[in-house]
Parts: sequence; structure tokens; C-alpha cells
Amino acid sequence: MYELLKNLGAWLTSGAQWAGSDGIAHRLAEHLQYSLLATLVATAIGLPLGLLIGHTGKGAFLAINLASFGRALPTVGLVVLVFLAGGLSMLPVYVALVALAVPAIVTNTYAGMTAVDPDVRDAARGQGMRGHQVLFQVELPLALPLIMTGLRLALIQVVATATIAAYVSFGGLGRYVFDGLAQRDLVQVLGGAVLVAAVAVALDLALSALQRFLFRHRTA
Amino acid sequence: MNRRNLLGALAGTAVAIPALSACSSGITSLEGQGSSSGGGGSSKGGLTIGTANFTENQVLGYLYAAVLQASGVKVTVRPNLGTREILIPALKGGDIDLLPEYQGALLHYLDPKATATEEGEMQNALTIALPAGLQVLPYGMAEDSDAFVVTRETARKYGLTSLADLKKQNGKLVIGAAPEVKKRQVGVIGLKDVYGVDFKEFKSLDSSGPLVKGALKKGDVDVANLFTTDTDIVANDWVVLTDPKNLIPGQHVVPLIADRKADSPVRKSLARLGNILTTAQLTELNRQVDKDKKDPEDVANTYAKQHGLA
Amino acid sequence: MTIDWSWISGHTDDLTTLTLSHLQAALTAVLLGLIISLPLAVLAHRVRPLRGLLLGLSNVLFTIPSIAVFVLLLPVSGLTRTTTVIGLTIYTLVVLLRNTVEGLDSVPARTKEAAKAMGTRPLRTLLTVELPLALPVIMAGVRIATVMSISLVSVATYIGDGGLGQLFTDGFQRNFPTPVIVGVVLTLLLAVVADAALVALQYALTPWKRRRA
Repeated sequence: MYELLKNLGAWLTSGAQWAGSDGIAHRLAEHLQYSLLATLVATAIGLPLGLLIGHTGKGAFLAINLASFGRALPTVGLVVLVFLAGGLSMLPVYVALVALAVPAIVTNTYAGMTAVDPDVRDAARGQGMRGHQVLFQVELPLALPLIMTGLRLALIQVVATATIAAYVSFGGLGRYVFDGLAQRDLVQVLGGAVLVAAVAVALDLALSALQRFLFRHRTA
Repeated sequence: MNRRNLLGALAGTAVAIPALSACSSGITSLEGQGSSSGGGGSSKGGLTIGTANFTENQVLGYLYAAVLQASGVKVTVRPNLGTREILIPALKGGDIDLLPEYQGALLHYLDPKATATEEGEMQNALTIALPAGLQVLPYGMAEDSDAFVVTRETARKYGLTSLADLKKQNGKLVIGAAPEVKKRQVGVIGLKDVYGVDFKEFKSLDSSGPLVKGALKKGDVDVANLFTTDTDIVANDWVVLTDPKNLIPGQHVVPLIADRKADSPVRKSLARLGNILTTAQLTELNRQVDKDKKDPEDVANTYAKQHGLA
Repeated sequence: MTIDWSWISGHTDDLTTLTLSHLQAALTAVLLGLIISLPLAVLAHRVRPLRGLLLGLSNVLFTIPSIAVFVLLLPVSGLTRTTTVIGLTIYTLVVLLRNTVEGLDSVPARTKEAAKAMGTRPLRTLLTVELPLALPVIMAGVRIATVMSISLVSVATYIGDGGLGQLFTDGFQRNFPTPVIVGVVLTLLLAVVADAALVALQYALTPWKRRRA
């Protein structure tokens, strides 16, 4: 154990390990690219869906069940399936990551919307606000904390799961995990895992900072 | 149903779980049939065959299983466990007892500096290099070598016919192979040591599987590490680079087994299989699994029956 | 991408074995997760300083890729079912710990004080008052953890286990979609059935919730 940690330290701090196309810097950038793009696409799908369901109150049962169904989708199976259907590209990885992230975003957005006090909503309507005004000026700001929770959860899961890209020959930090498995090089596996966890924690902290920034006038 | 009943049912599940785990979990796992008639050997309690993560190794594992079962040994097959780097520690640790190996590749794994190339020599070298508790049984006729392969166009473009020609293109070509090949003597390390070859990039793909062959077809890699028993090499008119300096050792199929299980029925039945199975037959069995989508288990059982082994 | 139906009908036994093995791994993990997280949750609920530490730690565990966890366990438990179950249990802890703590938090202080005033001992209060009242939130966690585990089991195919996940690597290596499709469908079915069973279990365990208001 001590040996493993000592070697991990050497692995993480070696300059050679950071450089080049198989270097940590490059793999880190790839991993960020996969994770952020997938989360962005998932947000573009999940956020409007969750808002629509929350605002209209229609399709909630279906959406929530689909979301829990989606949570059960096995990522490995999905990646392989899209690979067999469409050939070798990043598409299988993105499909799987988006499918993983959408449920968390939809359910939390919906939960945020249902948590809005009906009296507040009625008051807004009573003041003559239209549907979209109620949605964007009243409901959305009030639902934002839970929406952000959903986004953070989705992002953490996507960052951890983007490891799978390496299974279908692509890069990212998963490269170290899969190569380390094939070579039984546990230092490399641990290094990859620690870096993935660090990325996830860093992005989560960044989002939480963003959240605080967005709400800075709320408490003032 | 009242609460107590349900809790009782739950407790029942908890008890049922260990019982369930007693069944093996392979996709085509073989439950032993018949009792051991091995004459009191140590394989009496049954043995577990592990196989690596490519088709041929699974075919071989099920062939071993078929002949062993025919001689009354209780066998479990655990397919698709991973690479040699994962399997050999598992063999030492007792998770598996027997695994189909390849002479040269195994020797280089155990002793990267090994120089033996002739089959008999390698067998001796293996016996010396193997850690305590493990042994190789007599090697079979069938052989499956590593091959470094390029497309016909690439061969023409760079004038490549042998591994030595790769040096002229140092720093220009991309090689694709399973991740472990990067650290193996019969791989990037040996190509550098023996032929002085430097690649522009190493791409981690798979063992003669869809990734490496797809990448070679698409031109994502220039050189691919495949197995000589892969029918896609001929089907795609790919060029196998020759090996004038004998970097790639002979790769006869050889059973690697834990001493604790190597008794006479096991030795005899595996030796009989080794004497019958040819490279061409093994190649054909691989093709049936990969192309006709037959189960490795069925393919192996049929072969064993046809050849009077089971 | 066509489905080879004859492959499916020819492999019903294998598919049953894989499905049961899949379910067994997931359920064992959730059960173990519950056994570990219950005392930890009580601790986190009672001892404030420990709360942030335990929840934070379990959150960090969640960010580690599951495949890496399985591989890193190889020196400890080898290529065995134990490795799969330990790996999965780690992931269930995140959900179970959080939900159990939240469940205990949701018990009104007044209820606990009433129990105390009646002279009920703390352990008895925990078992007969707090945990039953926290049950709906805990069960919500159990449901999430179960569905998550069922989806995660297949990752263990990279270390030669993985239940239905073996269909994925097999189909991948042979460019054969049928086993992959079957594996995905069976995983989803398993999740739906397990979830429904848990809903039924919760209904049975909380009779007081059924009384009409």
C-alpha cells in the first residue's frame, strides 16, 4: 500500500508523464472536453424538458419513470450497442454519457419546479404575467437551486463515466485505467482514478461557486 | 402480507444469496457432469479454466474443458477474464487453475530477456522461468503467432515487406495494438530493441479484435498487431511483415497449469488434444465463432466429438 | 442491426444464469451497503462533526470510476465475485448514507422528545420510533441504490464477472449485436422489476402511511 502511494506520487509528479500525446495534460484536456460537451448536450435536452413538465404539470409521471428507467441503462451496453450500429467514432461515448446525465437533470429540474410555492405562482398570474413570464421570471429563479443540484450530480457522474471512452479506443483519463488494467499496472490505474476524482471535485466546486454567484443578491 | 411475513421473505433472500453464488456465472459455463474417475489425482475436486479476452483463447479454453470432461474431470470455464498480465496472477492466487497459453509470449512475459526460439528450448526455458507452483504441459501442434500487419497500400507506399523496413519510416508511423503490447518484448519494446523502430504514436486498441482491425481498415493506424490465426488478414489482403531477426518467437499453444491440479488424467487428455489440433483447424474454429456467431463452447464440443476426443 | 432470434431461443439457460448472477451481485451490494450505512448514518446524525466528514468522504468515493475500483481491488480479492460486490457496495454507500441521514433528520424533534419523556431508552427510540419514521426516505435511497447497482454490475465484465455485462463484451468482440441488445433489455427489465418489488416492500413496511387522512 505504501509502495503503491509512493509510486503514485512519482507517477503524478514526473514531468515526462505530463508531456506528449499520452501525457496527463493531454488526457486531462480530452477528459474535460468529453465531460463538458456531454453535460452541455444533456442540459440542452433535460433542462427544457424538466421546465416544460414542471410548468405545465403534464407528463410528469411518464418523465419521472423514464428518468428512473434511464438510470438503469448500462453504460457499457449502450456504448457497445451504438458502436455496433454506427461504427467507430466518439458517438457511442457521447450517447451513453448524455443518456446518463439527462435523467438527473430532468428529475431535479422538475423537483425544483414543483417546489415553487403555488401561491407565488398564482400571485404572478394575478399580476397579469403571461405563461412564459411566470416561467422565466418567477418559477425558474426559484427552482434554480435544485436545478443546479441536478447539474452538479450529472456532471460528477459524467466525469467518472467518461472513462469508458478508452474502451472504444479514445482518450481521456480512462486511458490510464484501461491500459493499466491490460498491463496490470496498478499505479497507472490509481493515477487515472485519482485524476478523474480530482476533475470531478474541481468541476463540482466550480459549479457550486457559480451557484453562489448567481444567488449573491438573493441574500442581500 | 403483513410486515413479519415480508421480513421473513427478506431474510429468505439473504440466505438464498450464498446458495446462488455457488453456480458459476460464465455465459456458457460448463457444469461438470459425472464423477471423477481420474484415479485419485488432484484434479478430483474439479478445476477452473480461465481464458483471455480474445476469441481463440476462449475456443481453446472450451476445447480443454471438452477433453477434460470426457476424462471425468469436473470443469468450470471462466471466459474473457482479461490479459496475461491479469490471468497469471489469478492463476497463482488460485482464482483459476488452468489456462491456454502460447509458448513464446508466455516465455517473454516471464523472462523478457529470453533468447530461446526453438520449441524444445522454449519449453525448457519456460520450466526454468515459471514461478513455483505453476508448470507448462507438453505444447501442442497448433500455433498462433503475433503478426505485425499493414495494408497492401501502406506496404506499397513505404516499401514495407519486413519489420526491418519499418526503421526507414521512424517517427512517421502509428502502431495499433492491445494496451499491453506497449510494454511487451513482443511488441513496442522488442521492435525498438531488435529492429530500432520508433513509432510516431502507439494507439491502445484490442487483441486482434474490432478496434484494431477497424483502425487498420480506416487508416487510423499504419501498423497493426494481429494474430496469425485471424482469417481477416487473408480476407482483407493485408500484408504480414516478415521477421528476419526472429523477434517473434514460436507460439505453439501450451497449457499452463497450477501444480495442484496437474494429475495424470489432465496431462493425458490435454496431450491428446495437443497432438490432434492443427493450426488450420484452430483458425477454422475461430472463424466459426467470429463470423458464424457460434458459441465457442459448441464449436469446441463439436470438434472434440468429431475427433474422438469426447 | 438485426436481432438473431434463434440465438436468443438457443441461450435461454445461459441468459437465466447471467440474469440471476447479475441480480445477486446487485442485491448483495445493496444489502451490505445498508448494513454498513445504517450505523454510520446514525453516527453522522448524532455526532455533528462526523456528519460532514462521512458524507464528504462518500461523495468523493462516488467520483472514482467504477472500473478503476474493480481493478484496484484485484490484489485484495482477485478475479472473484467478492471484488464485484465490494466495488458495488462502495457506490451504494453514497446514496444510502445520505438518504438515511436525511431520513433521520426528518424525524420531528418533538416526536423524539415525547419518546424520551415516556422513558424510552435511546436505542429503543431509534429502533421503534426514528427508523420507522425515516423509512420512506431510506427506502427512496434503497430504490436508487438498487437501480444504480443493477446498471453498474456490467462494468465488472472487465474483470471477468459482470453478469449480463458479459453479453456486452462478447457482442463487442464478435461484432454481434444480439447479445448486446438482449443484455441491455434484460438489465432494464431487472431494474424495473426490482424497483417495483421495493415499492411493494415499502408499502408493506409502512402500514401507517396507508391510513387515509
